[in-house]
Amino acid sequence: MKTSSVSPNAKYLATQMALTEYLKTQFGTGRKIELDNFEEVIVWAKDPADAKRCVKDFMTDKNIQMDFLSDLTAYDNKDGEDGDKRFVLVYQLFSRTFHTRIRLKCLLDENESALTIVDLFAGANWLEREVYDMFGIDFKGHPNLRRIMMDERFTGHPLRKEYPMKQREPFKDNIRLHLGANEDK
Amino acid sequence: MENQQQDLYNPNVLINIGPNHPATHGTLRVMCRINGEVIEDANCEIGYLHRAIEKLGEEKTYHQWMVYTDRLNYCSALNNNITYAMTVENLMKISPTDRCMYIRVVCMELSRIIDHIVCIAANALDLGAMTVFFLLIHWREEAYTMIESMCGMRLTTTYARIGGMSYDLPDGFAQRLKKFCDEIPKAIDEIEGLLTGNRIWIDRTKNVGVITKEDCAQFSVTGPCARASGIDMDLRRDRPYYIYPELDFDVVVGSGGDVYDRYLVRMEEMRQSVRILKQCNEKMPNGPLWVDDKRVLIPNKLDVYTKMEVLIHHFKIFMEGIDVPKGEAYTCTEGPNGEVGFYIVSRGGPKAWRIRVKSPSFTHFQVFEKTIKGGKIPDAIAHLGSVNIIAGELDR
Repeated sequence: MKTSSVSPNAKYLATQMALTEYLKTQFGTGRKIELDNFEEVIVWAKDPADAKRCVKDFMTDKNIQMDFLSDLTAYDNKDGEDGDKRFVLVYQLFSRTFHTRIRLKCLLDENESALTIVDLFAGANWLEREVYDMFGIDFKGHPNLRRIMMDERFTGHPLRKEYPMKQREPFKDNIRLHLGANEDK
Repeated sequence: MENQQQDLYNPNVLINIGPNHPATHGTLRVMCRINGEVIEDANCEIGYLHRAIEKLGEEKTYHQWMVYTDRLNYCSALNNNITYAMTVENLMKISPTDRCMYIRVVCMELSRIIDHIVCIAANALDLGAMTVFFLLIHWREEAYTMIESMCGMRLTTTYARIGGMSYDLPDGFAQRLKKFCDEIPKAIDEIEGLLTGNRIWIDRTKNVGVITKEDCAQFSVTGPCARASGIDMDLRRDRPYYIYPELDFDVVVGSGGDVYDRYLVRMEEMRQSVRILKQCNEKMPNGPLWVDDKRVLIPNKLDVYTKMEVLIHHFKIFMEGIDVPKGEAYTCTEGPNGEVGFYIVSRGGPKAWRIRVKSPSFTHFQVFEKTIKGGKIPDAIAHLGSVNIIAGELDR
């Protein structure tokens, strides 16, 4: 038996490619659109405000209907490979109708804040808190932006590249639990 | 606080559940404000099992990090193993061999059965049905014994490798799998007989912990929980990977979104998994297990000890790691709990620049915080068991 050269999900590349073409014509002005190693489309938003606009437009556009936020994360761009700004914010969007994916990216400076999308996807609440916790990225308009994984007294943001791997910061006692998800920070 | 102790009829009594509580099955903490017995407000605190797995991903080579994927969802470690291997393979544009794909699908479906068994058994145990627990856990043991025969480990398997699997199937595996597939539906029928029409079970689970369709869309709920709420979504069918397009199975969709529907969906999914396992067992192809790609191929042990070049190759793969090209990929599969995804950004070299784990439990616990409001404390326990929060993948 020979080794299959094409992965069986290759036929889904066709719909994904059609999406890329559509994005290039409809949303391509001023935004960089590229493909990743798995032929999925990456859209680079111009700035944080544009990123939020994109999420909203992708959601409401009848031809793509990106109505599902799979994931929201960030990564450190300290080596400047992806641009001159410090962080890259990543939105993984999925369409439940067409089963296509868009990865929306946005460059952010260290002191620049992103716009929250909690008003569009309520599930972004904890995801944005995690990004804040791990990278120290501020989300403007977030209802409850505080640390989620780490203790509230913790210093530094662990997933930044300069944070040492072996650094420890133990606390003897448990934290007081805040009640009410929408409490101010 | 002093006021609350004085006033027995205070509508603002705080109840802390967890992080060490037998019914939370992990280090989950929920703070509830109760009025009488009704939860009026709730807040979840997570991070008690945070082990910085994503940070470790930047320090370890791609193969070294494989063992950490077992510790994400430890009820279905194989799913995480395989999804991670798949992501790295996508990054390197490698497609595994047919036999490898079949073995991986068998693994994923076996661990799906295990995960559903754990979820239903623990949920029933929390609600007092101990018989169900013992009956089901027996089948989990059977499945684990089968996994042990495949890779030598039970809970934390580390079975997948980039480009193949660490071992081929053992002798007589097909017969064992056939026996398992023939016998487990009877056990599932028995459990159905014990629970599905049971008055106590229905009273405790129907209309309890309802996650509406809108909540699912808003909070990105995936997997059996979303399907129980009526969202027809399954990555095995919608964005098929490996051999799923060739297999015949049904996507189970519920309607109510309550604990009872989630239980029914999980029961039926186990039957569908058995169906998939049977088909895989019949179609299992012979042929090579490993891709013929020098970049990832782990050489045969006998050759390593006898041939110089192969020894060097082996040394380089394990001491330096495999060289993954620049780029990024996000790959997700339908895990037992929902969408399990890995997002890897590579800057070239043997270590990842960033590994992100998208875990279903994270979003499920967030919606839990919202949906327990208005219910009672025993309902919260039933709800928590049915959404199957695994602290390992919640906190990572």
